[in-house]
Amino acid sequence: MAEYELDCMGEACPLPLMKAEKKIKDLASGDVLIVHIDHSCAMKNVPEWARSQGHNVEVDEVDDGEWDVIIEKA
Amino acid sequence: MAETANAPVRRSIPRTTTRKKKKSQLPIAMIVLLLMIAAGILLSAFKDSSTGMFLMFGGVFGFILQKSRFCFTASLRDPCITGSTSLTKAVLVAFALTTIGFTAIKYNAFASGQAIPGMSYVQPISLATVAGGVMFGVGMVIAGGCASGTLMRVGEGFHMQVLALVFFVIGSLWGAKDMGWWNLNVIADSPRVFLPDVFGWLGAVVIQLLIIGCLYVAADLWERKKLGIKDEE
Amino acid sequence: MKKVWENISKNRYYKMVFKNPFTYITGAVLLSITQIALFAYSGNPWGVSGTLANWGAWIYELFGGSVEKWYYFSSSGAQATLNAGILNHSGTMLNVGIVGGALLATLLASQFKWKKIKSVKQIVAAVLGGLLMGYGARLAGGCNIGALFSGIASLSLSGWVFAVFLLAGAWIGSKLLAKFFM
Repeated sequence: MAEYELDCMGEACPLPLMKAEKKIKDLASGDVLIVHIDHSCAMKNVPEWARSQGHNVEVDEVDDGEWDVIIEKA
Repeated sequence: MAETANAPVRRSIPRTTTRKKKKSQLPIAMIVLLLMIAAGILLSAFKDSSTGMFLMFGGVFGFILQKSRFCFTASLRDPCITGSTSLTKAVLVAFALTTIGFTAIKYNAFASGQAIPGMSYVQPISLATVAGGVMFGVGMVIAGGCASGTLMRVGEGFHMQVLALVFFVIGSLWGAKDMGWWNLNVIADSPRVFLPDVFGWLGAVVIQLLIIGCLYVAADLWERKKLGIKDEE
Repeated sequence: MKKVWENISKNRYYKMVFKNPFTYITGAVLLSITQIALFAYSGNPWGVSGTLANWGAWIYELFGGSVEKWYYFSSSGAQATLNAGILNHSGTMLNVGIVGGALLATLLASQFKWKKIKSVKQIVAAVLGGLLMGYGARLAGGCNIGALFSGIASLSLSGWVFAVFLLAGAWIGSKLLAKFFM
């Protein structure tokens, strides 16, 4: 169960989602991808997309306006 | 949002990043709120009384847009990129509801013999509409937000959208300057089509709502296909 | 005093209304109600980009320019609006209000953060995107709010035509995003 990190801080819409989509392909089932974001749209559309693909998702607010979207690949 | 059950994520590595002690921004929020109310009251007192009301309406729009992360850009862009149409469907719902509300107001004026309000928003249809649509579509996706989205993100602290807004203003002035040419060569004599003139009031509303309904179903089917969502039943 | 804010943050209703995001559908319903209310109040639907053209004109005039001879500002209504100045302009109040409302919403959720520009790509995207939106909105007679949202709600065919080409533009923009801006 490897853990991968994806830094999307400061990225404009919809780059966090596009990058997460691309990166998750490299993961094996059971791996975890942590996406660091500070975009309010992304804290909604990244989990929504990930859940639609059947992955487990958790969103952690780590600071004012900063979130970690933790995706466990199904 | 899909309500799939979420088992807690098992992580092999405990979090090593120390979480910053978050301080509440509520005190600042209170100050900003007071400033906005003060601005509204002062404006209404020294300028037209409606000035404060418009500021309030804007504030309400901005609040709702931010809270729901509503984005017209995403409603048209996401189907192209990920296949997601949740915003597309929400926008369609908004279209349907406002159609009903607006028509009620317009018909009420019409039926009582008054001038129908808001008719200046029935724009002529010409190649300028086509060109404008494509340009705006490209621009909003690249800039990361449409007109309302850009303003919303300025309020959220995005420097990029402040820059986008500056150039939106410049582009608007440039466009305004060229409108003389466009009007003369492209737009003049183009039709303005107010649907009730074609289908009658009831017909227009019914047809428009039906089209919105069909688009909603189409959006749903598109999303299911692109995201590979299978039927749970 | 700090304890007060912390206790509020833990309150159930605070979380529901101010902390957590609304669903898209909730947003759609609330926006629609507000749109209709604005139309009922002022006789005009919501618009955003027309105001930005006026801002451009006022700034241009500050630098000594003149838009008096421009076709776009030639109507008596447009001239009156320009002469009345920015503080009397309803559209300005709406736009400034949107910025304020979004700021307030973010602060109330304690989610505000300055997000600086990260790369040259973002600068190019903002400049290009802004110009295209500004110019395109004037051509079409409005933006995603005035020409699309309000246009369609006003039962104008132009709203639908605009929507079709907006989608085309969004598709092109998506391709450009993936190719140049990622």
